[in-house]
Amino acid sequence: MNARKTWLAALATASVAAMALTGCAGGSKPADENSLEMWHNSTTGPGKAYWDEVAAAYEEETGVTVTMVSVQNEDMDGKLQTASNSGDMPDVFMSRGGGKLADFVDAGVVKDLTDLISDEAHTAFGDAAFAALQVEGKTYGMPVAVLPQGMFYSQDLFDEAGIAEEPATMDELNDAVSKLKDAGISPVALGAKAAWPAAHWYYGFALRACSEDTMQNISVTHDFSDPCWLEAGEELVSFAATEPFNEGFLTTDAQEGAGSSAGLLANHKAGMELMGGWNAGVIADLTPDGEPLADLGWFPLPAVDGGAGDPSAMMGGVDGYSCSADSSSACEDFLDFIAKAEWQEKYAEAYNAIPASKEAQAAVTDPLLQEMMAAYNEAGYMVQWLDTLLGQNVGNALNAAVVETLAGSGDAQSIVDAAEQAAARG
Amino acid sequence: MTETATLLAPAGAARRAPARGDWRKRGEIALLAGPAIVVFVVFVILPVVMAAFYGFFKWKGFGFPDDFIGLENYISIFKDPTFRSAVGHNFFIVIASLVLQGPLAILFALLMNQKMRGRSLIRVLIFVPYVISEVVVGTGWSLMLQDVGALNSFLGKIGLDALAQSWIADPKIAMGTLMFIISWKYIGFAVILMLAGLQSIPEELYEAASIDGASFWQTQWRITLPLLGPTIRIWAFLSIIGSLQLFDLVNIIWGQYVAATAGTSTMATYMYLNGHLAGNYGFGNAVAVVLFLISLVVALVYQRFALNRDTAGALTGDGGRKKR
Amino acid sequence: MTTTATAIRAVRRRRGTTHTAGPWVYLMATILVAICIGPVLYIIIGGFRTNSQITQDPSGWPAPWVFSNYGDVLVSSEFWLAMGNSTISAGVTTLGTVVLGVMASYVIARYDFLGKGAMYSLFAAGLMFPATVAITPLYLLIRNLGLVNSLAGVILPQIAFALPTTIIILVPFLRAIPKELEEAASIDGTGRLGFFWRMVIPLSLPGVITVAILCFVTTWNGYILPLFILSDESLFTLPLGVQNFASQYSVDTARVLAYTSLSMIPALIFFSLFEKRIVGGLTGAVKG
Repeated sequence: MNARKTWLAALATASVAAMALTGCAGGSKPADENSLEMWHNSTTGPGKAYWDEVAAAYEEETGVTVTMVSVQNEDMDGKLQTASNSGDMPDVFMSRGGGKLADFVDAGVVKDLTDLISDEAHTAFGDAAFAALQVEGKTYGMPVAVLPQGMFYSQDLFDEAGIAEEPATMDELNDAVSKLKDAGISPVALGAKAAWPAAHWYYGFALRACSEDTMQNISVTHDFSDPCWLEAGEELVSFAATEPFNEGFLTTDAQEGAGSSAGLLANHKAGMELMGGWNAGVIADLTPDGEPLADLGWFPLPAVDGGAGDPSAMMGGVDGYSCSADSSSACEDFLDFIAKAEWQEKYAEAYNAIPASKEAQAAVTDPLLQEMMAAYNEAGYMVQWLDTLLGQNVGNALNAAVVETLAGSGDAQSIVDAAEQAAARG
Repeated sequence: MTETATLLAPAGAARRAPARGDWRKRGEIALLAGPAIVVFVVFVILPVVMAAFYGFFKWKGFGFPDDFIGLENYISIFKDPTFRSAVGHNFFIVIASLVLQGPLAILFALLMNQKMRGRSLIRVLIFVPYVISEVVVGTGWSLMLQDVGALNSFLGKIGLDALAQSWIADPKIAMGTLMFIISWKYIGFAVILMLAGLQSIPEELYEAASIDGASFWQTQWRITLPLLGPTIRIWAFLSIIGSLQLFDLVNIIWGQYVAATAGTSTMATYMYLNGHLAGNYGFGNAVAVVLFLISLVVALVYQRFALNRDTAGALTGDGGRKKR
Repeated sequence: MTTTATAIRAVRRRRGTTHTAGPWVYLMATILVAICIGPVLYIIIGGFRTNSQITQDPSGWPAPWVFSNYGDVLVSSEFWLAMGNSTISAGVTTLGTVVLGVMASYVIARYDFLGKGAMYSLFAAGLMFPATVAITPLYLLIRNLGLVNSLAGVILPQIAFALPTTIIILVPFLRAIPKELEEAASIDGTGRLGFFWRMVIPLSLPGVITVAILCFVTTWNGYILPLFILSDESLFTLPLGVQNFASQYSVDTARVLAYTSLSMIPALIFFSLFEKRIVGGLTGAVKG
């Protein structure tokens, strides 16, 4: 009797184990000449469709299969990190430059593309676009879109408040804020819950207050002793003191659906928002009819008196794609493929964004995008998002400190202190 | 009461000396406990040990860590006032959870163990908050409790504008909001554990009590509650550990950055903010180890004072019946 | 014999006390249920609105009622595929956890041996480390076992993570079975394993059902493990499937509310099927 029970128990254990292990194993990827794996962050919609189209076209032309994997934006970093640790890096992956890319380069998991990018791409894009994806002078990625920062606003609400012209200086902006308040409209939508939207205001003020050299070198020096950094903090504090932000901005999301700052703008519950170039698309998703907001306007960040920065300078990001260190040569061929004008134009359409390729930019018809492009092309210089430039460690600390200051438990000095402490630690 | 008293009197657990068949006993232990131990060690203990190992390095998350800094991470953690306040929040949550959920769950389990119509339906409905994933709970409550969210909007509609608060961001009430949401989510868990525990109480005890003329509440107080003791202590243990590890709810409703200003940061959100988000994975792992050690100490203290009674077999009914 | 048997059956029906619930109990129950269900209803009804509606009037009724959110989810193949994957994942994990957990708890509860305390502490300690941090080394391990991107690679760690709670809950249940039964069984010649098979499992049913429910629900909602281990979309479980409704920058809140309202239904069904079985235990075990 006993033996039978023992045997039955063992059988039960064994069958559970066997059942669990019958899943087919996924092995690691060899650097295959004939296939590529690519990670991008469009999980749905025209963006995803675009990449599927690219993959099909590339396969037709070259015979190389491209497997597209879409990863949610927030999860991308985590997954890339685990993948890099286990040698499972995708061949092509999304990268945005700055400190994060530098970390990848340090770890030796990105391919140096300086000599591998085609000349056509170089001429089509110009040097500025590549600058964002360079580390110590070497290029590590192919840009696909340029996303400059600016003020998105609702023309209807501006009319209602009696604001005649787009503000070009901080004084005019403050004026617009009080007019909106008088008309009972929340002047500025701010999604401070995620910290970076709030930090964008600080970056903007820093861009105006600091000289070009200070800004560009900060990623290398991590030295915040220049008084312009404190000055930027003080501008932020005095702007925040006018209470321009929507009620409850500390717990407002930036782009996550209903109740986010983009949603506020889309539903005419706030007058304007300082945000990057992708905002038009986000707002379009959140309007009552799901169509792009008809009265959406855009103007560049206003000039600030007495700053050392060029008043026409812009801050923005560059979306690009990099190759993993052990990918085959098919990778850079693929990157050259998507840099072609034809695919850049389609990208611009799918993502409602400014393509990196100057040739493709001519094909953009959206008036809002055209305004952004005009400002971009006339800008004295462009600086990358400060938190990307500074890298995760310092960038994250900076963002957190800005939120604390806006919440009233910090001041201009504490922002600089936090950045310095993080730099010392990192 | 004599019947009941006899039934309750603990008879010392009669230990039988392991007779011959010592090897067979060892074989049985290996066979029964073996698979669980193997799976557990491989998939939990090993990764945890490795993660703890990373805590001694300054590591950006790529490749094998090579910047050994010993206890530096740990020292910075203890020096950081933000961490200390997070620990304070955690302990408040531990106590508040026990106080808020425990009595309510016990009361409810006792009351619902009677005959009543719709009992099954009520149990299912109370359990629903536990079934919903934390992510959705966070999103839903966010929408409801935002400054311009459903609750404030509703208060405005019925003219109680004055009661509208900044439920999430105001440091004075944020913790209260958090405790309400936690209790809401986990009360079902507590009730279901209590209900299961109630099933182990032998029917005869109730009969004996009613023969002796005890009222409903007397029965609950003298018989049910003491016998529910082990279950309550187990629930409390799980609740304490869960409170110390709290992350998802706070992260989704408050976001990592606002949690500190609103006074609801926890050790786990601190770990996420300063580890994962800052790209300092070595530091993050060190915080995880500290969180583990704190939980361990709390668990040991709890074992010593609360769970030891059960190991002695006093009130679990282990050998508690005398044949007459 | 028959009289005793009838008496046992009669007693069994009046579980708990001979007391029937009074009106106060119903009142309290109603209040508790209202508090529990209120927010859930908000989530469910939110699925019938658009994002814009939610922003403009947070506490209003759907105006108009939008059925496309629920409709689109119900007809999307990804939803049903994810539901299938979730069912397999949660089902096999629960089965594995219960089997392994009951066996291990039995050993800890009723055997006497050196290292018993250590075994219990080993499992309890597993609860105390935040799982999110162990994910990188765990991923490496899964990859080395060749199980990455498969449901097995998700199920095995899930079983391991569910074991501590399971064992902690089951040990007192198993301990509560009277020694006399075990002695009686051994007199009958069945030995410890036979006792386990024939008496322990039926008698500890309340505990077993409880841990099964808890394991199923936790696994059903788990997203970190599947997120890191699965990259093939056809293997995604329900929590990952939400991705389909979050675009590159934004989230379709209303659709997510609809999606998650639908996702919780199987777990609720599982619960309501099994909660009725959290009865029995020692009823009549000792009499005669």
